[in-house]
Amino acid sequence: MATRSRHALPPMDRRAVLLGLAACAAAPRLAGAATVTDAAGRAVAAPEHVARVFPAGPPAAILTYTLAPEVLLGWPRANRPEEREFLLPDVGSRPEVGRLTGRGNTANLESVIALKPDLILDVGYIDPTYVSLAERVQQQTGIAYALLDGHFAKTVETYRALGTLIGQSEAAGKLARYAEATLATILKRTGAVLPERQPRVYYARGPRGLETALGGSINVETIELLGARNVAGERRGGLATVSLEQVVLWDPEVIITIDRDFAARVGQDPTWSAVAAVRAGRVHLSPKLPFGWVDFPPSVNRLIGLWWLAKILYPALFADHDLRALTREFYALFYHVDVSDEQIARVLAGRD
Amino acid sequence: MSRTSGSSNEDGASADGASADAASARRLALPGIAVALLILAAGMALAFTVGRYPLTLPEVLDVLAAKLAGRAPSVPPAVENVVLFVRGPRVVAAALVGAALAVAGTAFQGLFRNPLVSPDILGASSGAALGAVLGIYFSLGVLAIQAIAFVGGIAAVAAVYLIGSALPARDPILVLVLTGVVVGALLGAGVGLVKYLADPYNQLPAMTFWLLGSLAATGVSDLVPLFGPVALGTAVLVALRWRLNVMSLPEEEARALGVPTGPLRVAIVAAATLVTSASVATAGIIGWVGLIVPHLARALVGPDFARLLPAAAILGGGYLLFIDTIARTAASVEIPLGILTAVIGTPFFIWLLAGMQRTWS
Amino acid sequence: MRLEARALAIGYRDRLVGRDLDLALAEGEVLSLLGPNGGGKTTLLKTLLGLIPPRAGEVTCNGRALVATAVRERARLIAYVPQSHVATFAFPAETVVLMGRTAHGGLFGAPSARDRAVALAAMERFGVAHLAPRPYTMISGGERQLVLLSRALAQEPRFVVLDEPTASLDFGNQGKVMREIRALAALGHGVLFTTHDPNQALRFADRALLLREGRGIAQGKVATVLTPENLEVLYAAPIRTLTDRVSGESAFLPG
Repeated sequence: MATRSRHALPPMDRRAVLLGLAACAAAPRLAGAATVTDAAGRAVAAPEHVARVFPAGPPAAILTYTLAPEVLLGWPRANRPEEREFLLPDVGSRPEVGRLTGRGNTANLESVIALKPDLILDVGYIDPTYVSLAERVQQQTGIAYALLDGHFAKTVETYRALGTLIGQSEAAGKLARYAEATLATILKRTGAVLPERQPRVYYARGPRGLETALGGSINVETIELLGARNVAGERRGGLATVSLEQVVLWDPEVIITIDRDFAARVGQDPTWSAVAAVRAGRVHLSPKLPFGWVDFPPSVNRLIGLWWLAKILYPALFADHDLRALTREFYALFYHVDVSDEQIARVLAGRD
Repeated sequence: MSRTSGSSNEDGASADGASADAASARRLALPGIAVALLILAAGMALAFTVGRYPLTLPEVLDVLAAKLAGRAPSVPPAVENVVLFVRGPRVVAAALVGAALAVAGTAFQGLFRNPLVSPDILGASSGAALGAVLGIYFSLGVLAIQAIAFVGGIAAVAAVYLIGSALPARDPILVLVLTGVVVGALLGAGVGLVKYLADPYNQLPAMTFWLLGSLAATGVSDLVPLFGPVALGTAVLVALRWRLNVMSLPEEEARALGVPTGPLRVAIVAAATLVTSASVATAGIIGWVGLIVPHLARALVGPDFARLLPAAAILGGGYLLFIDTIARTAASVEIPLGILTAVIGTPFFIWLLAGMQRTWS
Repeated sequence: MRLEARALAIGYRDRLVGRDLDLALAEGEVLSLLGPNGGGKTTLLKTLLGLIPPRAGEVTCNGRALVATAVRERARLIAYVPQSHVATFAFPAETVVLMGRTAHGGLFGAPSARDRAVALAAMERFGVAHLAPRPYTMISGGERQLVLLSRALAQEPRFVVLDEPTASLDFGNQGKVMREIRALAALGHGVLFTTHDPNQALRFADRALLLREGRGIAQGKVATVLTPENLEVLYAAPIRTLTDRVSGESAFLPG
C-alpha cells in the first residue's frame, strides 16, 4: 500500500490509532491506494495496479477493451462470431457477465464478486439513479466503482480519466490524442459550414424505417454533433415512430439507417421515392462490425463512425480523406486488430 | 346466559367421540405448521449455501456468529462481505417478500370470498409499477424510486377504495373488484405511456427488468423500508385471522353474526396493501406467490384462517426462497423472479386444481 | 323482551317494498311469515335483523331501536339462519358453529374454552356433534341446516330469525328441521321464520303474518288467520282444504 502524499503519523496516543483501525475494519474494505475523482465527483479508491475490470454495461466494456483489453473480465453480452472476427481472439471470446445498470440487473452480484475485479467501471449517464447505484454496489461489494461520462463530446476526458484510474495513462493519452485530433479536424471543417448548407438528415430505424430519434437523443448524438439538421429534431426526446407522410413532408437529403432490410428495399419502394434522399441515392447503411458506427452501443466505437458520417454528409468537404485507410488505422489502434482490404470492404458495406 | 341443556340423549355416545374428533383435527394442524416451518428452514439453509459465490454452511454460520458476538470472523473479508452485504440481505428479503405476498393473498381470498384472488386485485402492483417507472424516467436515486413505488401502490388502492365506496351497491365486494380492475387497467396504460417515452437505451431496460421482478442487488439498506411495513401489516392480519373466517361469509350473514364488516374490510385491505406495496417497491412485480401459496398452505393445515394465515406466511417465505435461489444460480445471468414464479406457479396450480378440490368447493 | 316493528316501511334506497307493517314477537313464541314471492318477506326479514335500515317507522328490541344498537350487540339479541347455501371454503362444521360465538368474543375473536363448550353443546342439542370435524361442504343439505341452527343457538340470542329454513331440504328432512325449530321456542327463544308453505305455518307456528305486495293482510293466531279465504287472497289463487275426519287437522293444497 503506497503512502505517496501522506505525512508520517505524528506521535498520537494509541487510542486514536486503534480507533482509526477499528473504523477501517468496520468500513467496507477498499484496497485503495490512488484516489481518483470520477465523472460524478465521487472519490474512487482503486488499487494502484488494476489488472481486472468488470464492465457495468456495453459502453464500459468497449472503452476498457480499446484502452487495455487484457484487463477486461467479460462482456455484458457474449460477442457473436462475426463480431469476434474483429476483436482480439482471447479477449473477444471472454464470457458473458450481464449488465449492472439500474434496479434490475442481469449480472449477479455474487458472480461479480467471485470474479474478483479490482474495479467496476460504468460509462454512461451521470444522473442520480446511476450515482446512487454506484454507491450501493460499492458499499455492498467493497469493490471500487467508477462512473465516467459516456457522452461522445467527452470522449477525450473520459479516456484520460480511465487511464488514471487503471494506471495506463500513457496508452490513454495516445487514444485521447487521436480522438482529440479527429474531433478537431472534423469539427473545424463542419463548423465552418453555413446553416443553409447543413444537410437535412433522417435517421431511420426498424424494418420499415419509420422509427426515428428525436432531437438530443443519444442515438443521433454524432449526427447532430456534425452540424447536420435532424429532421425529427424539433421535438427533443428519445425514440419515436413517425408516418411516411411525415418523412415525405420533411424531405430529408440524407437517410442514415441501421436496418439492413430497410436499406435494401427502400430503393425499390415506390412510396419512398418521393423522398429526396432516396431519389438522390443518399441512403446509407451504417457499418456495425464489431460495434455499431453510429447508434449503439453509444461508446467510442462511434469515433470511426464520425469519419464515415462526415464523408456522407459533406462529401466535398472530406474528399481528401480515405475512409479505408482511416478504418485500418482506427481498428489497429482501438480494436488492436489488423484488417485486410476484403474485411474493410465487408465492414463498410454494412453487412453482418 | 346459556340456554343449552346437557347433551341430547340420542347422540350421547357420539358426543364424546365428536369432541375427540375435533381435538384430533386441531392436533392435525400442528404437523401442518411444522411442515411449513421445515420448508422455510430448508429454504434458508439452501439459499445461504447455494450461489454464484462459493460459500459453505460453516462459513456462513461463522460470519453470523461473529457478527452477533461482535468479534472478527475467521473467514476472508470477501466471504464476510458476501454473507453480510450481498447474500444475507437477499435471503432475508426473499423470505419477507414471500411471506408478505402469501399473507396478502390469503387475506384477500377470504375477504373476496374467492380462492382465485391474488394480492394485485385492487391495483397495488399497478400503482407501484407506475410509481417505479416514473421514478426511473425522472432519473431518481434508487431509494427514491422505491419510495415512489410504495406510495404509488398505496395511492392506487386508496383511490380504488374511495371510488368503490362512493358507488351505491348492494355488493360492496363486487364493486371493489370491478373498480380495481378498471383502475389497474388505467395505471397499466400509464406505465405503457412512460415506457414509450423513456430513453430506450438505459431507462427502458431498467423499467422492463424492474417490472419483471428481481431481488438482485438487494442490500442492507433495502431491508429497513421492507421490514417495517411487512411486519406491521402481517401483525394486523394475523391478529384478525379469526375475523377473516366470518368475513368470508356473505355480507349479511357476517353482519348478522356481529362483525362490523365495513371497518374490518378497510383494516384488512389496508394491511394487505401495506405489505404488498412494500414488497413490490423492493422487488418489483412478482405474481403467483399470493395465489399459489395460500392453496399450498390450505392443503397443509385446512381452510380455517386462524391456522391458514400463519402457515401461509411461513410457507410463502420458504417458497420464494427456493425460487430466488433458482433465479440467481440456474443461469449465468439473473432470471427475473416474476418469470420464474409464473413458470413454476402455473403447472403447480393446475396440479392443485386437479387434486385438491376438496379444500374449496 | 319483545322484538317489535311499528308502522314500519321497508325497502331500498330506490324502491319502497312495504309499508304500515306492525308486528311483535315475544320470547318463547313462533311467528311465521307467509306470502308470495316478491311480496316483501325477505326485505322485512332483513329489516327486522337490522341489516337494512327501515324507510319509515322503527324496529325495536326490548324498547331500544335496532338501528341505534351496535352490530355486535344486535348479534347477541338476534341470530340469523339463512337458507342453506354452498360455502366458498370448506370449513369444518365445528368452525362454522364457532363463528356463532363471534359476538361474544374479544376484538380479535379468538375462541375461548367456554366458546368451544357452548358450540359443542349446541351441536349436541341438534344431534350433529359427530359432524364436527367434517367439512361443511361435504355434509348433506339437512345436516347443513342443522349446523346453521347450531350456530344460531351458539350465538345465545333472544330471537332466532330463519329464512325459508326448509327450502333446500329433501322431503324427509323437512319435518325434522321444523321440529327442531319448534324446539328452539321451547328453549325460550322467540322464533320467526318465513315460508312458502301454509301447512308449515299451521303445524309449527303460534302466529302468522300474511304479507302481500308489502302490506300485511292478516296477522294473528294460525288457526284464526290461516283460513282458505285469507290464503286465496294472499296467493290470488284457489285453495283446496283437506281435513282429516278423525283428528280434525287441516292441510291446504294449491287449487
